[in-house]
Amino acid sequence: MYGSASTHDLPTTATTGLENEDPILLAEFEARIARGEKIEPGDWMPALYRKQLTRMIEQHAHSEIIGSLPEGTWITRAPGFRRKMAQMAKVQDEVGHAQLLYSAAETLGKTREQMLIDLINGKSKYSNVFNYPTPTWADSNVISWLIDAGAIVNQLANAKGSYGPYCRALDRICAEEAFHLKYGHDAVVHMATGTPIQRAMMQAALNRWWPAIMTFFGPSDKMSVHTEILMRWKVKMASNDECRNQFLDMYVPKIWEIGLTLPDEKLAKNEETGRWEFTEPDWEDFKRVINGDGPCNAERIAVRRAAEENGAWVRRALLTPKTQYVRPLA
Amino acid sequence: MIQSFDPRMNRLGLPDAPVTAATKTALDQFGTYEVFHQKKDGAPYVYVGPVHAPEADVAFLFAKEQFSRRFACTGMWVVPTAAITVTDYVGDQESAYDFLPLLPKSVAPAPGNADDTAGEAAAYAAGEEDYDIFHLKKRGKAHQHVGKVRASSPAAALQVAKAVFGEQRPVVNVWTTRSADVLRSDEEDRDIWSTTPEKKYRDAISYKVQDRIEKFKAENK
Repeated sequence: MYGSASTHDLPTTATTGLENEDPILLAEFEARIARGEKIEPGDWMPALYRKQLTRMIEQHAHSEIIGSLPEGTWITRAPGFRRKMAQMAKVQDEVGHAQLLYSAAETLGKTREQMLIDLINGKSKYSNVFNYPTPTWADSNVISWLIDAGAIVNQLANAKGSYGPYCRALDRICAEEAFHLKYGHDAVVHMATGTPIQRAMMQAALNRWWPAIMTFFGPSDKMSVHTEILMRWKVKMASNDECRNQFLDMYVPKIWEIGLTLPDEKLAKNEETGRWEFTEPDWEDFKRVINGDGPCNAERIAVRRAAEENGAWVRRALLTPKTQYVRPLA
Repeated sequence: MIQSFDPRMNRLGLPDAPVTAATKTALDQFGTYEVFHQKKDGAPYVYVGPVHAPEADVAFLFAKEQFSRRFACTGMWVVPTAAITVTDYVGDQESAYDFLPLLPKSVAPAPGNADDTAGEAAAYAAGEEDYDIFHLKKRGKAHQHVGKVRASSPAAALQVAKAVFGEQRPVVNVWTTRSADVLRSDEEDRDIWSTTPEKKYRDAISYKVQDRIEKFKAENK
């Protein structure tokens, strides 16, 4: 699991369009969510709810499929047969997660064809961390452990959200995560407690990835635009800063206990507030990379596009006159 | 050309910037099927999710890969999405059967009686068929198979299901499909489901990371 719930263009109150919704239907919809019932595809829902969820689930799906690339690249070069098999199984899981999530997004009305087009034409976003390269095996291990760990924090929160199909997909996804997390942790520990060269390689990878990891949960709450409605509708379940703090709480001690360091002198937990303090990530750089100017944006999209185009003739050959598309039911 | 750390990507010779925007034709991603699995012998079939596929046999292959790769099951069904009739969704405390549209008297069926063999034969001869019925008990959970009924149309099948299963509560939503539209795994092929035991590297439990951490800590006190 790779998804980060940082929706980067949340609406402001001025553009919610809620004033155009039927007030009675809207009240019923909100009452259903307030009493803890899930929303299902056949239900009435405000246009804004549909739009934001579509964007969020679609971004999550793209993150799974793009996120499998920097790890997938290491399958053939993973040290040893067992690690090759394990890396392959993990990457296959991630691609499977994308399938589940695309289907969940489709129940809201957007076709899979359109989502894939929007991805390869650069219109849709995916988790920004995958715009960075994995130059060594240790970089791949950092993704397996810490990016997955970050995503789990997000997804466990989102699995309690209000949209039935997304919850069902996340329940399945989370169930597969125990393996990913242990596998990633094992790989990192193996390197960190290995030879001096292995250890140095792991430390270098961690240093490279740490700034990106700190941006994984999206911009700081004080910079985020209005999320009140999305919280009330249980589209967004926890704030970016809450997720980031929880991640630091769970994983910084595990990083430190194997003698690795983190490249941020300010990083420390304030025991009085219970909050972690750290150097503010470079959000301008984050914005620049997410808008296309990162080290791997062009490669990720080009590889995805080549896969789509090179496989198109096979898909055409498999079609039968009876093939019929209907929006998935749930 | 794109320069990658991955030599396989370099061999593709991908252009730095695409010349034209990508497009896709209709059905590029195929049609849709809904998948149900049985966790263990005797358990009801439960909805696990959709797959995209060009036809039912391929849908079954994709479903097996997607939904039984990690979680063992003893059987799987795939149904074209278009073949499933869906009722309205109702609240978590209600029954969808209470909101079925009324059928004209002439087509409203009498509840099928399983013991009535002669009547059954006559019903099939008159164009009735078996329908599978699935209930959703709670929003956010998964539809579950509750049984079969005999009827002449999906609407009639729902009426019969109301008579047979309508006592169950709550029923948030009902799916019905002609049994003939369900592709079912064959009991004879059940060894296809036992694929996992030798793949220990996929299990969290086979990673003994804590031992290594303790050893490291002891050596570096």
